[in-house]
Amino acid sequence: MNRRGFFRGAAGAGLVLGGGLPAIGRRLCAAAAGPNLSRVEARHYVKLPDREIECRLCPRFCRLGDKERGYCGVRENVGGTYYSLVYGKVCSLNVDPIEKKPFFHFLPGATALSLATAGCNVNCKFCQNWEISQVRPEQVEAYDLSPEDAAARAAGSGCPAIAYTYTEPTVFFEYMVDTAVRARRRGIRSVVVTGGHINPEPLAELLQVVDAVKVDLKGFTEAFYRSYVRGALKPVLETIRTVAGSKVWLEIVVLVIPTLNDDPATIREMCRWIRSEAGDRVPVHFSRFQPMYLVRNLPPTPVSTLVAAKRIALEEGLRFVYVGNVPGHEAENTFCPGCGREVISRFGFTIKAMRMKKGRCESCGTPIPGIWA
Amino acid sequence: MAKARVVVVRSARAWTAAGDPDPAVIDRMLERGLALTGGGPGTAPAAALFRPGDRVGIKVNTIGGRAISTRPEVALALARRLAAAGLAAKDIFVWDRTTRELRDAGYSPNAGRSGVRVLGTDADGLGYGPELVVHLGVGSLFSRVLTELTTASISLAILKDHGLAGVTAGMKNYFGAIHNPNKYHDSRCDPAVAEVFDAPPVRSRHRLSVLDALTVQFHKGPSYHARWAARYGGLVFGLDPVAVDRVGWEIIERLRAGAGLPTLEAEGRAPGYLRTAERLGLGTFDLAAIETIEEDEP
Ligand code: SF4
Repeated sequence: MNRRGFFRGAAGAGLVLGGGLPAIGRRLCAAAAGPNLSRVEARHYVKLPDREIECRLCPRFCRLGDKERGYCGVRENVGGTYYSLVYGKVCSLNVDPIEKKPFFHFLPGATALSLATAGCNVNCKFCQNWEISQVRPEQVEAYDLSPEDAAARAAGSGCPAIAYTYTEPTVFFEYMVDTAVRARRRGIRSVVVTGGHINPEPLAELLQVVDAVKVDLKGFTEAFYRSYVRGALKPVLETIRTVAGSKVWLEIVVLVIPTLNDDPATIREMCRWIRSEAGDRVPVHFSRFQPMYLVRNLPPTPVSTLVAAKRIALEEGLRFVYVGNVPGHEAENTFCPGCGREVISRFGFTIKAMRMKKGRCESCGTPIPGIWA
Repeated sequence: MAKARVVVVRSARAWTAAGDPDPAVIDRMLERGLALTGGGPGTAPAAALFRPGDRVGIKVNTIGGRAISTRPEVALALARRLAAAGLAAKDIFVWDRTTRELRDAGYSPNAGRSGVRVLGTDADGLGYGPELVVHLGVGSLFSRVLTELTTASISLAILKDHGLAGVTAGMKNYFGAIHNPNKYHDSRCDPAVAEVFDAPPVRSRHRLSVLDALTVQFHKGPSYHARWAARYGGLVFGLDPVAVDRVGWEIIERLRAGAGLPTLEAEGRAPGYLRTAERLGLGTFDLAAIETIEEDEP
């Protein structure tokens, strides 16, 4: 296998794991690796006449003839049967702090075995991981990691959670669900980092086996989703509503991009919607954009814009609002809504201090929503 | 203004008794088609489009397996014609996305150093270029076969109906030159087909379109369905990529009409990307501005 030009810098890469499976950081699909594809029958699709199928996993509802693949590029119709090509084919594997996902109200300070396969069902112009999300599985090097092996590896690495992340886990749905089931048997939690483009039926199935979901709410207009995400807003809102109404922990991240989605009135509308549909307890992270992929002509988000977004969110009644990708900013910390004391102090992805007991503020006893143990 | 010329050469004897394309007949069809493609009396045939020293890629479309891909018999005969016209065989590359698809379509990939090379972008040491090409709405990595091995390109596509794009022919064939074609099938591939073609790696190299219309999938494509696949027995040639595909679309419409099927327009699947391509200055869409020469193989 030719790996020349394969690896770009290890920015964002996590820890190197023991054993035969190396940690894989971000990579460039410059050279073609030998294909390492699975052929596991997909779930949530229907067979149609003339060897056609319709995938019902996400709102694209790809309708495909024989030998065709869906928009995500990781599922293929072979003779009228639809297959996942990435089941157990992991292209990125790291041990990350759970704060990196970010989850701020879910097992703070814990590590998560974080994994991805190739593929995504949208095409965000500002994608940070496009080298693995916007490629076909043949174009990245993949390692075999069965659901059972993933669960065992998490346990062996001392990770209380597995995170399905980096790309869009919806497109490796079958692998994610099976891994979450195996992990749960070992007492390991599963957390999902998603853009929220998933249909209600598979989402309901997923929510049975995972413990937390972070949804990237990338904007609050259909026009933005159409132009910059190549997706739709409505199904994402539906996903947020459903997760909020379930027992699964929810956090929301909004990547704020100068001039594209930073309009204060729209942010206010978004916050109002979150409060009314997901409640005031859901943590919302306003995250800093860095020029990336197809949006390189804009500057990083001014911190003042993020602070303004946070202020709007607080005005609209959201209680746990954070500023992300600005290490050392005081809005990385969690404050007790009862007495206003800092209950979790952070620096970047590191927990500096916890002043909580059994999910309550140490000072005043106010419960802080989240999964703390 | 001179009309864009498109040449359609047909033969009822294009197949052997065993059902394979007949190399001798294919060669005569190519000879005739290339000779007529130049643009009028006194102009050079298409083979003269390439300068000595050019390295020419013949981009085939092998996604449909043996049943409905660019036939190797056509691709290799075209390569031989180019060699006969003065190009060194080692400077001719028949290529597509993957070695597997080439094999499945009946090719014998050989990435070696001598003779005409047949290779997939995934051949060892190749792959996709490291830098994203960002052009209009396109953001893609391009095959290094196109960008590094070749200086000139022929799109030798199979002519097919396409459920999303309406028609897949010479222009859409270049979706096989980028790493993320699956991301460009929204809105009936419009404007993506035109924009990928307009991107510098393609536009600066493309010289000639040839459509393999020996068997035409005129409905339910791009997959093969025998019921809607016609033995059209044709090859279509032209220097104007939009005009060639426009004529290809007409062939599909005629076959559809013959089978009692509605037009692509009526099915809401007209390949609007061809109009977009014309707007981008890539060629001629209007049939009235296209001179279509139809010949039977001598
Ligand atoms: S999961 Fe993939 S194949 Fe299925 S509908 Fe979504 S994009 Fe299409």
